[in-house]
Amino acid sequence: MSKTKVDDINRNIYDFKNEDNYDIKLQKGLTKEVVLEISKLKNDPDWMRDIRLKALEMYNKLELPTWGPDLSGLDMSDISTYVKPKSKLNSSWEDVPEEIRDTFDKLGIPEAEKTSLAGVGAQYDSEVVYHSMKEDLLKQGVIYTDMESAVRDYPEIVKEHFMKCVPISDHKFVALHAAVWSGGSFVYVPKGVKVDIPLQSYFRLNSPESGQFEHTLIIVEEGASLHFIEGCSAPKYNKVNLHAGCVELYVKDDAYLRYSTIENWSKNMMNLNTKKAIVGKNAQMDWVTGSFGSKVSMLYPMSFLNGENAKTEYTGITFSGGGQNLDTGFKVIHNAPNTTSLINSKSISKDGGSCTYRSLVRIMDNAKNSKCSVSCESLMLDNISRSDTIPVNDIRTDEVTFSHEATIGKISDKEIFYLMSRGLSEEDAKAMIVRGFAYPISKELPVEYAVEMNNLINLELEGSIG
Amino acid sequence: MNIKVNETPVRTSRNFLINNIKIDNLELPKNVSKFENVDISSDKSIVSENTNISNLVYGNGDLLEENNLKYCNSKIQLETAKEDVKIVYNFDDKNISLINQIEIKADKDSTVYVIYNTKTEKNVFHNGIIKSVAKNGAKLNVVVVNFLNEQSYNFDSFEAIVEEDSKINFFVIDLGGKTSVVNYYSNLIGEKAINNVRGIYLGKDEEKKDLNIISHLNGKKSVVDIDIQGCLDDKSKKNFKGTIDFKNGCSGAKGSENEFCLLLSENAKSIALPMLLCTEDDVEGNHSTACGKVENDSLFYIMSRGIEYKEAIKLIVKSNFNKILDEIKDEELRNQIIEKIDSRLK
Repeated sequence: MSKTKVDDINRNIYDFKNEDNYDIKLQKGLTKEVVLEISKLKNDPDWMRDIRLKALEMYNKLELPTWGPDLSGLDMSDISTYVKPKSKLNSSWEDVPEEIRDTFDKLGIPEAEKTSLAGVGAQYDSEVVYHSMKEDLLKQGVIYTDMESAVRDYPEIVKEHFMKCVPISDHKFVALHAAVWSGGSFVYVPKGVKVDIPLQSYFRLNSPESGQFEHTLIIVEEGASLHFIEGCSAPKYNKVNLHAGCVELYVKDDAYLRYSTIENWSKNMMNLNTKKAIVGKNAQMDWVTGSFGSKVSMLYPMSFLNGENAKTEYTGITFSGGGQNLDTGFKVIHNAPNTTSLINSKSISKDGGSCTYRSLVRIMDNAKNSKCSVSCESLMLDNISRSDTIPVNDIRTDEVTFSHEATIGKISDKEIFYLMSRGLSEEDAKAMIVRGFAYPISKELPVEYAVEMNNLINLELEGSIG
Repeated sequence: MNIKVNETPVRTSRNFLINNIKIDNLELPKNVSKFENVDISSDKSIVSENTNISNLVYGNGDLLEENNLKYCNSKIQLETAKEDVKIVYNFDDKNISLINQIEIKADKDSTVYVIYNTKTEKNVFHNGIIKSVAKNGAKLNVVVVNFLNEQSYNFDSFEAIVEEDSKINFFVIDLGGKTSVVNYYSNLIGEKAINNVRGIYLGKDEEKKDLNIISHLNGKKSVVDIDIQGCLDDKSKKNFKGTIDFKNGCSGAKGSENEFCLLLSENAKSIALPMLLCTEDDVEGNHSTACGKVENDSLFYIMSRGIEYKEAIKLIVKSNFNKILDEIKDEELRNQIIEKIDSRLK
């Protein structure tokens, strides 16, 4: 009897690789000289160079995490931290070199820009090659540009916020990021401005044995709102690539920010990304995350609910196939009265893949009348895979409503039986259950990723259920 | 000395403050004389001092384990008959340190009660290991009750091995101690093995409770059910770590874990880490934890019946514990536990 098979994501559209054709590729490894070289290439102001050097010092001091997936495959001396593609920053796709433009064409970025986005940023290796935004947003004072331009053009804003939400001492890979960061997006939404159509940045790492360290800084001022989408992919090489980006989000009083991510790195990627948000009074921060790619992921977005009535929601799905160890989850600190967090996580493991849901909910003693509800579900599609749930709930006040639920298991025979008694075949029943399992998350994902999600749950309808 | 004990089976970020518990200025007693004040009531079971305890799978860490294996001052081995056995340790002015081992082998249905009483105002110290095995379809109940005084240190390491078609119901009633650290590990090695773990804890003043419950499911269709109910008052702190580990091959196994912590003070702190680890697809696992203060509606309802505030709180706390207490057969012991809860909530 053959088993119903759940396919891997069709990676053909991501796995095409271009020739490793670059302008500058710095020597491998991490030394003071490399950091100074990057700083010089970027024309950093002194304060930014000082941050880089301080971060390098911190990187050398901090230990690797003593928990989570095995990172021994990562050898910094084998990774080039800066690769400059043969392109300048452009505001028209026509001006982007053909080979690079072709890459983003295949990924459907220019098409999405025309149909459903208010602005697009595209990064190729270490540098942003394209950035543009709709005219009317520009008129309203919205800033959407690459991070280097922001350091040059808006130094005061950047200085005030850069590495303040995520301190460089947070962990070793944050320190690494701050030392060698390059590229990324800067968004500033002025007071009261509602950006109705999403902005999107797409990060593509083409060069082998290199790292991508983009920095995303978003400030949504009082009463403003924004939906930001981040997409990532890379072709597969035999040696390890590293992604250690950093995302800092400031959601001011009464503001709203939705940050959606589709991580679809190739399976030689170590994805050690850090994302944090500071949420003000009556503000709301929503995270939507789909983690499908990479060899190893350690990714735990975090919200600090610092203002009264602040809210955050996390909706995440992780799909781990053979050879993948995806350690994902969410962290939230309730740091003001009447704050609310809603966490909904799902994971699917198959073919020897490993999924871990790891989280922290901390409700501080001043967060009276706070509410938190956590739900995580894991689906195991075979018995060679692994699924772990490691949630920490740290409650420091009594005036709180807190609940946490988690379940783990395979597709229920009862559900299959029920659907079959309604006339469905076994295969259709199983397919429906897997789709249904992922639906609450997939409906939250950006529209342009619907195809990706369908690929993910592409059930090969053959044979019966073993 | 300052030590870290009760490590979780899988580490997580150090910043989450849960991988272990740090205990400062602890002096481990050494070369203590034999613990004399212990009563064993048993008619039919075989009782001896021939315990054979060596390396624990988890336990409370190397230092405490070494302390136990080296300086143990009370050993009891039990081969239970079909009866209830009661072991009562009474700490008094002459017996203030107990480093004990109890080994229980059950192949008949039986219940073993282990009770730690303090009849002294002095600081007392307890570092104990209880290892139990249920085989040949036996049903074993183990009920451990900690009535230690409020200055004492309590360290418990439990191991329970459940063989085919056998069952162990393990109760940990943790009502005493300035610092009480409990490590529980069960291994369901046989097909259809069952393990129910029930726990009650009560913390007040600046007391610390650290519970680390780990269950490995190896047997096909084995079942573990963990239910912990607790209450924290004043500035007390509690860490609950519960791990259900579905091992490859345990098809048809079920595991559930539930912890509820009632907070009676805005200064009490509760950390919970309910883990599910899984390498087998044909299983059902779930966990839930919750915490919060006494609901105003319940309080209002009880008080509207003429019961004053303090008594109403006690009633609500006890009602949360009742489901577990009802499963303890010994009525006298049950009443003692309820009395203790009453007196500690004053």
